[in-house]
Amino acid sequence: MPLVFHVTENELDNEVDNELSMRTLPFLVITIISGAIAGTILGIINLGIVEPYIDKAIELETQKDIQAGQNVNLDEIVGYRIWQKGGEIVGGIIYGISLSSLFGIVFAYSRNSLPTSNDKVKAIFLASIMCFVLFIVPALKYPANPPAVGAPETIYYRQGLFVGFLVISGATALAAAAIILKKIDGTTSKKISIACAIYGAVMLVSYLVMPPNPDKISIPIDLIITFRFASALTISMFWGILGLTFGTLWSKFKPHKFEKITAF
Amino acid sequence: MDKPTNYLYILDILKNEMSYSRQLLIKRSDISKVAIGILVAIMLFGFFVVGFDQGQLFSLVEGKQAFDSKWLHEFTHDMRHAAGFPCH
Repeated sequence: MPLVFHVTENELDNEVDNELSMRTLPFLVITIISGAIAGTILGIINLGIVEPYIDKAIELETQKDIQAGQNVNLDEIVGYRIWQKGGEIVGGIIYGISLSSLFGIVFAYSRNSLPTSNDKVKAIFLASIMCFVLFIVPALKYPANPPAVGAPETIYYRQGLFVGFLVISGATALAAAAIILKKIDGTTSKKISIACAIYGAVMLVSYLVMPPNPDKISIPIDLIITFRFASALTISMFWGILGLTFGTLWSKFKPHKFEKITAF
Repeated sequence: MDKPTNYLYILDILKNEMSYSRQLLIKRSDISKVAIGILVAIMLFGFFVVGFDQGQLFSLVEGKQAFDSKWLHEFTHDMRHAAGFPCH
């Protein structure tokens, strides 16, 4: 049954004429700006928290190559390191905008189904779920590794495995949400339990069925573990900052603004 | 963005102190398809640049040499490791 609104002619004209600038544009700007802010902060934090482990891993890798009798050009490595560190913040911005684009789409479609009436809380809640689904769970199967772990000849195979697990995790979470919203009646706790059961079962099977990372680890395991904790810490912080920034901007600019048309 | 897709508006127009109504059916998409398309494109491009490029993008202008120099790959190298993408 269609909803009936009473509006003045001016209000309607403004609504239609300004649809692009008043709704689509704020949505895009909020999404991109929040990703850029969160990504910039991620890049800065990584320079302090993650970079020391990357430096250490590259140092060990270089020592290993020298001991193996390889011809190592140290000047070239130093030059690469300046270039690589220089890209940390820019890489963070690109990463941030990329994930905020996905976040914005999911938020726009799921906003009504998210708990509470506060957009900031909704955004932080969704960011927590997406961090779990798109980072934490994939990292349990294919965790982050510092340089010196990973053979060049297996890169496309490993990328395929990583993307496969990532897509399974994201698609399963979406499917579980769609099922409980459209097919299941009952209390919220019952719906959440069913969604968690569906997601958990599919991911457990995927975890057991998908092949492991094929590369051997040849540097100290404590360096790898601390690197993984550092990575998990900064990426989790990134998602928190993204949710907070996005929710704050959404609350302020209200790109969903439809409330100015009063329903009788 | 949080309402059903189609709305029926009843437009009340007051003109010359006379009141009358007319109905207007406006079909509108709640979430702009243009915005979704732009965001999907940004997401895929950004994800590829940070997480997966092995010289493919620069090879469009630099040729096969891009797969050896991997300038873009190296530029996002540290973020790639930190974000958990496979590398090398």
